Amino acid sequence: MKQPKIFFLVAIALLPLILVSCISGGASVSRGWAGTAFRDGIIYAGSRDGRVVAINSSTGSQNWSYPIDPPAAIYTTPIVDGDLVYVGTYSGQVYALTIARGNERWVYPRTGSIGAIVGSPVVANETIYISSSDGRVYALNTTNGDLKWKSEPLADKLWTSPTVMGDTLYVSTFDGHIYALSVDTGELLDWSFESEAGFASSPVIYEDTIFLGSFDRHLYAVKIGSDVPMWKFPQEEPTGNWFWASPIVNEGIVYAGCLDGKLYAIEAETGEKLWEFDAGDPIVSSAVLMDNLLIVTDESGTVYVFDLSVEIGDEVVPLKTISIGAAVRSSFCAQEGLVYIRGEDNWIYVVDIDKGELSWKVSLTFEE
Amino acid sequence: MADVWYLIIGNPVLNVLIALSHLLSGEFGLAIIVLTVIVRLITWPLTKRQLDSTKALQDMQPKLQELQKKYGKNQQKLQQEMMKLYKEAGVNPLGCLWPMLVQFPIWIALYKAIMKALATTPEYLLDLARRLYSWDIVNQAIPLSSKFLWLDLGQPDPYWILAIIVGGTMWLQQKMTQAPAVDPRQQSTNRMMLLMMPLMFGFLTLMFPSGLALYWAVSNIITIITQYFFTGSWGYLKFRSPFQSKPVKGK
Repeated sequence: MKQPKIFFLVAIALLPLILVSCISGGASVSRGWAGTAFRDGIIYAGSRDGRVVAINSSTGSQNWSYPIDPPAAIYTTPIVDGDLVYVGTYSGQVYALTIARGNERWVYPRTGSIGAIVGSPVVANETIYISSSDGRVYALNTTNGDLKWKSEPLADKLWTSPTVMGDTLYVSTFDGHIYALSVDTGELLDWSFESEAGFASSPVIYEDTIFLGSFDRHLYAVKIGSDVPMWKFPQEEPTGNWFWASPIVNEGIVYAGCLDGKLYAIEAETGEKLWEFDAGDPIVSSAVLMDNLLIVTDESGTVYVFDLSVEIGDEVVPLKTISIGAAVRSSFCAQEGLVYIRGEDNWIYVVDIDKGELSWKVSLTFEE
Repeated sequence: MADVWYLIIGNPVLNVLIALSHLLSGEFGLAIIVLTVIVRLITWPLTKRQLDSTKALQDMQPKLQELQKKYGKNQQKLQQEMMKLYKEAGVNPLGCLWPMLVQFPIWIALYKAIMKALATTPEYLLDLARRLYSWDIVNQAIPLSSKFLWLDLGQPDPYWILAIIVGGTMWLQQKMTQAPAVDPRQQSTNRMMLLMMPLMFGFLTLMFPSGLALYWAVSNIITIITQYFFTGSWGYLKFRSPFQSKPVKGK
């Protein structure tokens, strides 16, 4: 009897410990997937250990590094405007840092938090617009970080980026709404759009139509002012997964990467599929246009380049296929033939499109 | 290994929860309650075995007390005779562990399902994409609202109400099944167990998302109800009314 009793006691005592270790061992930690921005020879990125980093693209050395304190994940792509770079953090603060030295110009809010920031901010008319996990959109003065307005709560949380067109700001929500707000006051305007399924991606506006991905595995085209979608892609059966990345539109064609691993080219006016390309791995990052080249990465770190100046027939073959050897979830940027990508391994990869190869890479891991 | 885990337990629990939530007007808390009932129905054969053991132990009490009187001074002999008696009656004193152990993978699956379905972090939301079945009912429900009563199901209950309910119901459930020990050493072990388990789960409730604690609370309440109706009584739980007069010495 003694042995079973000991076993019983040990089992009971260990049960909660095993539960804790099993659960927390597989838990996902927020590390961020900040994208890259490039201006005047400097690459700006958020690192996985919660720092904003400026890298000289000629030498590959770090110009400066600003640690978020207390440490917080960065999901937003840095926005460079004037002499400042803006970053939103998962701890719910917006930082404005000088591009020259990475000094803090202002932080909003000065104390406390506005709720985790996941969607990248947008700068327009000397105002930075941020969507927050508290469900509101905030408008701050870019010069001093003063609050211009904050919207009423629009949803449980806002993780998508707002889009500004003229005097209207558009924001999509996980509960399936597109709201239009006045950029001057933050007040809700008359028009809004409601869908049965939530929206996974940020709105992209082309002419007078909003394009965005939904959790129902369709891409939506919504005419501003209309209550019904102009089209849903595909019209019948949904695709294999969500359109997580924001689509891009060029000369009447929507290019949308999907988590089912396919890149779809869709006619913006009709929603008809022109072609599709199967990358094989989920496409998490939004595609980028550089001149007449469309650049797409999949999650496994393969970069595909398509030449849009030539007609793409039934058999879609990328102009270039380059592997960087690291997972990619972040937004990336491209300029003057080079693509700047932050890998999930916390390295910046610079891909030379002309040569079709990885040019150089630099680690963002902080070394004392 | 992780893929096998998700294939067999993780993904089914996640998708069923989301589908239930959609059927229940988007109420994720109600979906957790219904899932708890389903899990308890599936594990009913084990629960029944445990209840049978409890009932048999209750019936054996007079015989156990007799053995205590007879072999009280010889602990080794007492243990031997008790084991013999358990064997004859087909009772396994450790039988109550099995329903809990069987539910263990469900707890882990539920925890992960809650964190992913409620998109508590961007990584969880993105990971959810590869775990969902292609059912319309599932895809139309994503992502879910985490609000239920006063709770944010993705976060621990800040008011400790759920911790008190989980701890309280676990104590009650144990008290109903724990037979009074004849051996003084076993008595102290039982007393420790009676306190330790509710305190541990109450503590865990303060650490884990309230959605998981809701599962524990509902599961405990179901156990108490089934025990009451199966055994036809409150078992070893003795209610003493404050208005009940104490027996007067000498009378």
